[in-house]
Amino acid sequence: MHLIAQDLVNGILAGGILAVVALGFSLVWGIMNIINLAHGAFIMLGAYTTYQLFTSFHVDPFLSLPVSFVLLFALGYLIQRFIMNWVARAPVLTTFLLTFGLSLLIVNIALNVWTGDTRGVTTAYSGANFTLGDVTVPWAKLFTLLAALAITGVMQLWLTRSRTGRAIRATSMDIGAAQLSGVRVTEIYAIVFGLGAGLAGVAGTLISLSYALNPSMGDLFLVKAFVVCVLGGLGSVPGALVGGLVYGIVEAFATQIDVTVGGQHISGSGLQDAIALVVLLIVLIVRPTGIMGKATA
Amino acid sequence: MKLRLTAALGAFALCVSLAAPSAPVSASDDTIVFGSPVSLTGNLTKEGHLTQEGYDLWKNYVNAHGGIKVGGKTYKVEIKYYDDESKNDTSAQLAERLIDQDHVNFLLGPYGSGTSFTVAQIAERKKIPMVEGNGAAEKIFNQGFKYTFGVLSPAKRYLEGILDMARSEKPPAQTVAITAASDAFSQEVAAGAAAYATAHGMKVVYSNKYPDTATDVSSIISALKQTNPDVILNAGHLQDALLVQKGLKEQNVQAKAYGYSVGPDTPDFANSLGKDANDVFGGAQWSDAVKYHGSPGFYRSAREYAKAIDSTYHHRADYHNAESSAACLAFQYAIERAGSLDPAKVRDALAKLDVTTFYGILKFDSRGLNVYKPMVVNQIQNGRLTTVWPQFTADGKPKYPTPPWGQR
Amino acid sequence: MNPATLKRIGLGGITGNPIAFAVVLALMALLLAIPLTHNGYIELVFRNILMYAAMAYGWNLIGGYTGYVSFGNVAFFGIGAYCSAILATHGVDNLLLYVLLAMAVSAVFAAIVGFPVLRLKGHYFAIATLGVALAVTDIIANLDALGGTGGLALHQVDEAHFSIYYYAMWLVALGSMLGTYFIARSKLGYAFVAIRENEDAAAVLGISATRYKIVAWTIGAMMAGAAGAVFAPANGFIDPSITFAIDSNVFPIAMTILGGIGTVAGPFIGALLLAGANELLQRFFVKAHTLFFGAMIVLIVLLLPRGLVWLFGLRGGARAWLKSLSVYKA
Repeated sequence: MHLIAQDLVNGILAGGILAVVALGFSLVWGIMNIINLAHGAFIMLGAYTTYQLFTSFHVDPFLSLPVSFVLLFALGYLIQRFIMNWVARAPVLTTFLLTFGLSLLIVNIALNVWTGDTRGVTTAYSGANFTLGDVTVPWAKLFTLLAALAITGVMQLWLTRSRTGRAIRATSMDIGAAQLSGVRVTEIYAIVFGLGAGLAGVAGTLISLSYALNPSMGDLFLVKAFVVCVLGGLGSVPGALVGGLVYGIVEAFATQIDVTVGGQHISGSGLQDAIALVVLLIVLIVRPTGIMGKATA
Repeated sequence: MKLRLTAALGAFALCVSLAAPSAPVSASDDTIVFGSPVSLTGNLTKEGHLTQEGYDLWKNYVNAHGGIKVGGKTYKVEIKYYDDESKNDTSAQLAERLIDQDHVNFLLGPYGSGTSFTVAQIAERKKIPMVEGNGAAEKIFNQGFKYTFGVLSPAKRYLEGILDMARSEKPPAQTVAITAASDAFSQEVAAGAAAYATAHGMKVVYSNKYPDTATDVSSIISALKQTNPDVILNAGHLQDALLVQKGLKEQNVQAKAYGYSVGPDTPDFANSLGKDANDVFGGAQWSDAVKYHGSPGFYRSAREYAKAIDSTYHHRADYHNAESSAACLAFQYAIERAGSLDPAKVRDALAKLDVTTFYGILKFDSRGLNVYKPMVVNQIQNGRLTTVWPQFTADGKPKYPTPPWGQR
Repeated sequence: MNPATLKRIGLGGITGNPIAFAVVLALMALLLAIPLTHNGYIELVFRNILMYAAMAYGWNLIGGYTGYVSFGNVAFFGIGAYCSAILATHGVDNLLLYVLLAMAVSAVFAAIVGFPVLRLKGHYFAIATLGVALAVTDIIANLDALGGTGGLALHQVDEAHFSIYYYAMWLVALGSMLGTYFIARSKLGYAFVAIRENEDAAAVLGISATRYKIVAWTIGAMMAGAAGAVFAPANGFIDPSITFAIDSNVFPIAMTILGGIGTVAGPFIGALLLAGANELLQRFFVKAHTLFFGAMIVLIVLLLPRGLVWLFGLRGGARAWLKSLSVYKA
């Protein structure tokens, strides 16, 4: 019984990070129709930003959140403005390929800057925990979850209430109409791509608290971002949160499957990805646009 | 029309340049050329670099001391590297390139069991001997390959020393929990440890695997915690070792000993975790505390070797360095004994090799695996790696049982 | 886009530019000589190009012609490879049987998975296919009978007859290329393009979208499966990380786009360019090759957003090319 409660907590804590990992990716895809394969590289850069601030200036990882966001936002904005913009009207796969090239470029530059050494951000409070009944909760992961919830909330508010946010949503619905009503599409695109990168940076910062850093770390999270954003519904802020939590909880519970059938050991933790993906397929068959997605794609 | 012509010519030109013959690495005939695909990019970059350092240190030593004597003639040594991007398949392709295009004399192994296995396949097909020091999975040596030799102790032995140590301490450890990454090497390590524990009267209370791409292992740790084991063992790699160690602290899992197959021996482990890395045990192929008296031709003791690594690369000698240099040494002695650069003769000399070096004994069983060299156990004590097992080589006593989290 | 529009912008009808196709056929004829004139390694380089070409053709049918972007075609390559390995471990030593079984199993698997997955639209389809590929990888990696992550070793022919794998791969690539050509010119091809351009309108014209999508997806799967079946014994050893590699998933897509999506020449030209450039860079830049590889992709996309085949059909020289670039700028 207590294991069930503990797994639920583990799943929610892991899901919070996944939600932020997927959020920026989902927005860029949903709004701009760009499948950004450089998202993992941006996550890695965010994590290294935190690492560098932490080791060189003893800045607490949570305090480096805004720095990661701003730096990565700027990088994303510039990439969209000066590189991606050249093929903005090309078919979706053209930009897909462009971001694949960019990702290779960024990861290998990082390899030259930081070498392939594995690095970690270990604070005075990392590993500190409290118990609630039988359930152990690590403080750092709890704060990571709270930060994830706060970021999701702010994004949702900003997209629905602010002027720029509304312009972004108008652009995603109908470019032509948005342009006619005075929205500067190139600017909006640069902002959205910057936002996606900034959110990846934030995700990187949060990840650095629990996962060790190396230049190729981003790819693992990129694959999860793909699944989570579609699970919840593409381009939807609450969708990313729901998707992340569902994914985290499914993986946590999958771990406890542990049986042997006819000499074949079936380890749920060994199969955790497959189980999460089967859940994704079932969700898509029942709801073809994700859990929170709108009826029309 | 012009563009069309350019495009067509470009396609032909690319084909021609791909198919163009390339000159061998060394034009002179008084150089022995070794080839090695190593991980210079990708997720095993760090380990690839350590491997390369071990190879280069040997090469520089040999060249500075004249070279290798083969039947009255002295040869300089050259090593040709390619980057296998930490991918099994790329490694094998590069081995083919080294043999067919660059005409290397011999192969030095890549980093990792997966890559070593695919390269072994090529070595066998092309009949070019390979000595490797970084692929410990026994699978490599159970295929009947005649041209592959490994200087390391097999995977199943990685965690045995930690179990021996924990059994002999007071109070003796009785229960073991094992977590392992899903890759072939880690699975062999875990199976070996479980079999060894059971054979020596210990009880394996938990055993499970996770994908080697896992980014979160907290639920495995929750399940493990319930079994309340005396010894917690992990068979994996640096990244997941860090993930497990962090997770154990987060859920406040207290055991008498924590042991890892890979991780604690790399400085990155202690650098990443700080105090939380203290008192952790790691199985190692070698440490600078081992007390062998090596044959002439290279640094003759572990201390001398460690000093050379430190003055050349400015870090503590790692067992990946040592096993890589040892692979080169096996070639050096075998080539001298064969008195020839003929691949088949060098292969036979390797099979008969029996020599003691700074790294330990170099001798291969009929499968090509060095089962004669014992492993050591290191423990991180106050941030410093100390060899604690077996007792006759130890430079410190094991700290056991491990104090609670927060007091390390 | 109807065929007339395709022709106007230089893509040259439903099979793409005919000159580009002629160039590709000429190159294919030349490649037949490689084992006679070159060493084993060069043979391997070109065998890989042919293998990627076959996979790219497989992807091009569903992603290029039908317009359904799949991120899961690597699953068929892997299934094909495992079919060979299973036959090999049961003592069957016949390359033709390997290929036939692989094509059959890939086709059956594609058809079964296709029914639910091809109902999804656009991005949701793309991710569902990625999910299928990753799930298959994970399941095989956990099956002890298939060697798990440790993989399976296959018996190989001896060094003297090794070129048989090269010629087999050449045939698979040629078959995929000619298959694409004849399918594109048939009614099937026009139905695929109709679905790509407007699925609803196609339905009005009486084209059963689901049926044609499954056909495109299944034929593409057979191409990838055949490539995998030849790859496994040629490589001598397979494991999930090799047969379901991310590279084997992304490269065929990248090759098709760089070569020319929805054309017959494009996948081969893209495979030659990308695999060839990767090989040359790796040869000359031991450490920085991936960096340059990334930079090269970025540059090609920016300079040739419609792929290389498009150069063959462009009229008016360099000026027309520069002018056309601004079309895609926001």
